[in-house]
Amino acid sequence: MPRYFLALLVMIGTVLPCAAQESPYFVTYDHHLEEPGNLEIETFSTMGIPRSGQHLYAAPYMELGYGVTGRWTSELYLEGQGTAGDSTVFTGWRWENRFRPLKREHFLNPILYLEYENINEASRIQKEIVGGGPNITSPNSELQPVKAHELETKLILSSTVHDWNIAGNFTVEKNLSESEGFEFGYAFGFARPLASLASGRECRFCRENFIAGMEFYGGLGTTEAGFSAHNTAHYVAPVVSWQVSDNSSFHFSPAIALTHEGSLVLIRFGYGYEIRGFGSKLAQFFGGKR
Amino acid sequence: MRGIVVTVLAIGFMTSVFAQNVSYQQDPKWQAPAEALARANPLAQKPEATAGGKKLFQRNCVECHGATGTGLEKKRAADLQLTAVQQQTDGALFWKITNGNTDRGMPSFSRLPELQRWQLVLYLRTLTPTMDSQQK
Repeated sequence: MPRYFLALLVMIGTVLPCAAQESPYFVTYDHHLEEPGNLEIETFSTMGIPRSGQHLYAAPYMELGYGVTGRWTSELYLEGQGTAGDSTVFTGWRWENRFRPLKREHFLNPILYLEYENINEASRIQKEIVGGGPNITSPNSELQPVKAHELETKLILSSTVHDWNIAGNFTVEKNLSESEGFEFGYAFGFARPLASLASGRECRFCRENFIAGMEFYGGLGTTEAGFSAHNTAHYVAPVVSWQVSDNSSFHFSPAIALTHEGSLVLIRFGYGYEIRGFGSKLAQFFGGKR
Repeated sequence: MRGIVVTVLAIGFMTSVFAQNVSYQQDPKWQAPAEALARANPLAQKPEATAGGKKLFQRNCVECHGATGTGLEKKRAADLQLTAVQQQTDGALFWKITNGNTDRGMPSFSRLPELQRWQLVLYLRTLTPTMDSQQK
């Protein structure tokens, strides 16, 4: 078994890297999917700056995204959480799929999103905010035993207008473990590269390597409490991504709360590394002909 | 029960990894519409932008089309030096880069700024046909 694991690591290290012109958003999804056969490995963290009576927390997560076809991207998430003065816990995993129904680029490009979540109530990564937002006041010892099998769907609409990307998401989530209603959420973002033309030289700090923008996200209530933007968390967040090298990128976003729910500020940051041709290499490794 | 669910989901994820179709064949249906064909390259009078196009090509296209654009056989990618490709208008090439042909393995590059896609078109024009590609 260790021999196979070592071989897999060597294979990952030898496949070609690729240019990952990554979206800078943390919550909003646009219509760009992974290229077929590429594997993207990303680590992110959501750090919550507390209000009075809350505790500082950090919720790291790892994301493995794979381009199954040109119109289907599948991602696996592993997530955890550590709270100051409390404990550090594993909060579960998610399996996300995004499908692009239309072949060509249109003014408005829809993406269908379906995710299964096997998490617990201590989850604080806040990849989406639905209902009234996460519980960030109760201790982990109370939250972690409460399991949540959730099904989440999104309608993603995204548009490219000159160099700008404009995207909006509407989220519906259902906890299959509890007899509670549906929870709703939204995200909206826009972003553009800092330079439209690529320079002829290799450079790390050229403006073309940076994408900046803004996103807004929050909850929209539940079927039980009512579809409403009141009594839930809403954030506004500048976002920036930096193409560190051809195959890696760094992302940063400070999200500021617009309401009294949730954390005062969410500091989000992450690093992504993309491997091109991972699918064919993996198939070859297991004896396939690719 | 939970073990079965996890196993089924794990198999589903691994199946999705192997389900990819990387083979490429020229698609006669992949044609740019008339309005796209007529679009002129706004960088046509700026040959200095070609260097940036080369860099973008190396970052985004070499993986499938090869360093000289002849197309890697194992990827079934198009030979960009072929007359059939070079005879297409700038607008047609721009449209194909923008939209991709996702069912045949060519991704959409609409995530690149518009001018960078035109830079790629500029660079594609510099790919000189070789004897090998002319015989294809």
